[in-house]
Amino acid sequence: MTVEEREQHWAEAMRAERRGEAVVYERMLKELATALRRSLAPRLVRVGFGAHETEDLVQEILIGLHGKRHTWDPARPFLPWLHTIARYKLIDFMRHRRRDTRRRVDLPHDDWLEMVDPPADEAMHSTWEMDRHLAVLPVSQRNVVRAIAVEGGSVRSVAQELATSEGVVRVTLHRAISRLLEAADTTPTIKPRSRKEHDEHR
Amino acid sequence: MTSTDDLIHSLASTAGTRRSSASLHAALAVTGAASLACALLLVFSVIGIRQDFAEMAVRMPFAFKVVCTGALVFGASVVALYAATPGASATALYAISPAVIFLACGVIFDPTAFPIMGRTNTAVTFCVGHILFLSLPAMVLTFVFMRKGAPTQPLFAGAVIGILSASLGALAYTLACKNDGTAFVATLYMAACAIMAFIGAVVGHRVLRW
Repeated sequence: MTVEEREQHWAEAMRAERRGEAVVYERMLKELATALRRSLAPRLVRVGFGAHETEDLVQEILIGLHGKRHTWDPARPFLPWLHTIARYKLIDFMRHRRRDTRRRVDLPHDDWLEMVDPPADEAMHSTWEMDRHLAVLPVSQRNVVRAIAVEGGSVRSVAQELATSEGVVRVTLHRAISRLLEAADTTPTIKPRSRKEHDEHR
Repeated sequence: MTSTDDLIHSLASTAGTRRSSASLHAALAVTGAASLACALLLVFSVIGIRQDFAEMAVRMPFAFKVVCTGALVFGASVVALYAATPGASATALYAISPAVIFLACGVIFDPTAFPIMGRTNTAVTFCVGHILFLSLPAMVLTFVFMRKGAPTQPLFAGAVIGILSASLGALAYTLACKNDGTAFVATLYMAACAIMAFIGAVVGHRVLRW
């Protein structure tokens, strides 16, 4: 498909979306996701990110495009509009990731104090621990996890609060959990030895 | 089914629930009108219009102030729409040039021989302070508008919003402004715009992300 054909094809699908034709719009988003994945993956690999991050970014772009689709004027070309959004999201994504990386490897003053003086209050310690674990998530995912898993809100109420659909909240939560699991795998933690192990080493 | 497909499905299920793109223009028009109304209300209620308004309103300095600030409002509005729309044509940036030409002419060919820093020591802070005060409601309203749009350069979008709200404030302030020198007007209205642009950029950088 040439650029002109693609432009016409997708612009037509965007117009169909305004008429409420969900099927056409869904097919177009899928094509878009494939195209974005193909073009973004090599770029992200070059700076040390994997398929997981590419998928995250593709989703971010799709959500952004969907949320701001009213800013596309049907009289104007679609691809430049899409390009600007994709580029904005890519830059935003890279900056967030850099900040996340810095936070993950950082040695904050609190941790430093922790080394010499472990907190005595157990309850405070556990909130502090949780905040530290949740810190690996981007802000949007952290809000969802905190609202559902920590404060015990329902998917529906959280969706209303954040002014998105329940589907988006569910997907966000899912992504957050898989990221937390991944972080738990990579973060080096000192596991307390089990009793048996302990005996064996004696 | 992967999570991206799930996401796409849930996004597509809300197809057709947003209004058309004409709403961005309409939203800006409403925002501008509301901001100007707020600023005028503040002029009438807090500052009060100039004593010799009827006599002054037909003379050149007043016309110059209105034309300048009006041109700036128009230019900043066009640029604000550009900043709110991804992939918009950059020729919109030229819309600011009439205002710049008017202001430059005001500084270079000042026919009034009015001192550039005003007749009294407090004229500068008084004038700039009032314009900043009058542009505050506009600032809030235009930020609400910009969040509706899709600014891909939050810093720039914030600065444009600052200029737009300062020029709306200045347009309202023309009713109260006692300083008639075109150089004075051009310089200090510019100063107010610059301050608001700076504030807008700092706030926009944080608030306008999406």
